[in-house]
Amino acid sequence: MKKFNITVNGKTYAVEVEEVGTGQGGFAYQPVAQESQPVSDPKPKASPEPKAASAPQPQQQSAPASKASSGPVSGEIISAPMPGTILDIKVSEGQSVKEGDILLILEAMKMENEIVSPKNGTINKIYTSKSTNVNTGDPLVTIE
Amino acid sequence: MPNEKITELREKTKKVMLGGGQKAIDKQHERGKKTARERILMLLDQNSFVEIDAFVEHRCVNFGMEKKSAPGEGVVAGYGTINGRLVYIYAQDFTVIGGSLGEMHAAKIVKAQKMALKVGAPIIGINDSGGARIQEGVDALSGYGKIFFNNTTASGVIPQISVILGPCAGGAVYSPALTDFIFMVQNISKMFITGPDVIKTVTGEKVSGEKLGGAMTHNSKSGVAHFVDDSEEECMNHIRKLISFLPQNNLETAPSQEVHDDLNRTDVAMNDIIPDNPNKAYDMKEVVYSLADNKEFLEYQQYYAMNIITGFMRLNGKSVGVIASQPKVLAGCLDIDASDKAARFIRTCDAFNIPLLTLMDVPGFLPGTHQEYGGIIRHGAKMLYAYSEATVPKVTVITRKAYGGSYIAMCNKELGADMVLAWPTAEIAVMGPDGAANIIFKKEIEAAKDKSAKRTEKIKEYRNTVTNPYTAASRGYVDAVIEPSETRKRIISSFDMLTGKRVQRPEKKHGNIPL
Repeated sequence: MKKFNITVNGKTYAVEVEEVGTGQGGFAYQPVAQESQPVSDPKPKASPEPKAASAPQPQQQSAPASKASSGPVSGEIISAPMPGTILDIKVSEGQSVKEGDILLILEAMKMENEIVSPKNGTINKIYTSKSTNVNTGDPLVTIE
Repeated sequence: MPNEKITELREKTKKVMLGGGQKAIDKQHERGKKTARERILMLLDQNSFVEIDAFVEHRCVNFGMEKKSAPGEGVVAGYGTINGRLVYIYAQDFTVIGGSLGEMHAAKIVKAQKMALKVGAPIIGINDSGGARIQEGVDALSGYGKIFFNNTTASGVIPQISVILGPCAGGAVYSPALTDFIFMVQNISKMFITGPDVIKTVTGEKVSGEKLGGAMTHNSKSGVAHFVDDSEEECMNHIRKLISFLPQNNLETAPSQEVHDDLNRTDVAMNDIIPDNPNKAYDMKEVVYSLADNKEFLEYQQYYAMNIITGFMRLNGKSVGVIASQPKVLAGCLDIDASDKAARFIRTCDAFNIPLLTLMDVPGFLPGTHQEYGGIIRHGAKMLYAYSEATVPKVTVITRKAYGGSYIAMCNKELGADMVLAWPTAEIAVMGPDGAANIIFKKEIEAAKDKSAKRTEKIKEYRNTVTNPYTAASRGYVDAVIEPSETRKRIISSFDMLTGKRVQRPEKKHGNIPL
């Protein structure tokens, strides 16, 4: 934890900045931050709101570890539409699929829900496995 | 009459007909777009269009506008017929100063709106405009304001249809948004509050116009639009078809069509459509199509919140609005988007005296923080409100699951369903057998040696005694349990019986639907 005194328009704010590891890819969801500067750069942005200094800390809770460690994968992410359990995975990485093809079966609300491909393409990456519990918005596969 | 007077009229008319001139027309065609006049002629019955206000001119004297002529003021307005029925229409003309909206442009639209309202006929607005005419400043804003006000006044009185065939940006989006139906065409329609350039400057986000506000964006993601087509021709046919399901105004009923389909047609395939395994889904659209006259169904918001199906069909030749669970998508759960979609559709139908048919197979409201934080309580309430408020004949068919609050939200007896029909496969209960057994028989299951076997036994017991249509039927919550194959004739008979339905409600200014 580092402490900085920042003066904005003559007013001084005391801010604390915590450095986090560079290997954490929490910014995968924030391509803007990725372009402008590395998230681990502790240089705080000038802002009249003292609490804004905590912004450079990447928010980890929504980024699954598997996604973060694998680096950027291009293509459209198909994410879980509702919380449930992966019952079956019908495709494998590298496989080409057509629009409407069944990708996975997600059991949710006591129903076997077919997750279908929204477009023609190739499965780039599968993020999940059989019997895994997923939450709404969790990435399941990417299609390029 | 002196000949030169006639010649003058002809010359003036000819000039207006050409809009922004041949060059601008060619440019419009190069963009793959039709002109305002071509669009009107394509949409209306042949030779039916009558133009109003062709000679209106702007009064702006700022920034060199006094030297600029704008034939037709950038909008073509008038009336005509669709399948012989009167409609009012206006189409913005992009070839004239980019279809930009100034004081007199707005005045033409407002005149058409007021006439449509006075006469009680639908109005169709074709939007293709760069936005407000900047030179006219606050006069342009005043114009928009008047259009919005008239849109609202006419809401629920006459059907209002908006067609986006070009840009429709900034404040201009709110006229379509206030109307009943929005049509968009792939790669031609663009609708947004702030365009890609502004977004890039302000937030740095790069997004294409099509992705930001194209036809599919608003038909699948935002739910702003209701219909999408691949070409302008298809779009015009689509509008003609929709009009056939609508009455001229809120005091009439939609025109009935001659039926070429047997009223008593049975479909034995319906007896087998529900899978033996309650965890398996099926396509509710098969049921919808099977029930409809000639198996024709005009879907509303086909690509948005696909866990609920909405649209128009005919039964015995009469227009009916359908709201149906789709077990194939999100298990048929009700979520925020589905609630909004259904509630809006129900109110559209009720406003225009179109009876409601509900097909229910709903396991519940979608669980999760996304839904709770997004206000599913508030959005789900819209469905309850819309159904309760609707005074048109309401018939509900329960095909399978009907659990808890969602069973009520899909128009059960208490929300005013005049006739509730259940298939023998119906499971009407406060919750699913698994969950219910775990709660009711908790002690017995925990005390048992083989907990899993006891649980299975109790689930079965609950399923047999409670999760069926007969418990609800014994209380009168279900009017009849019917064979699925006979659904068509039963619902036709129900709607027929309900034709004279009248409902008295306490007088009020207006209700307060949770928005």
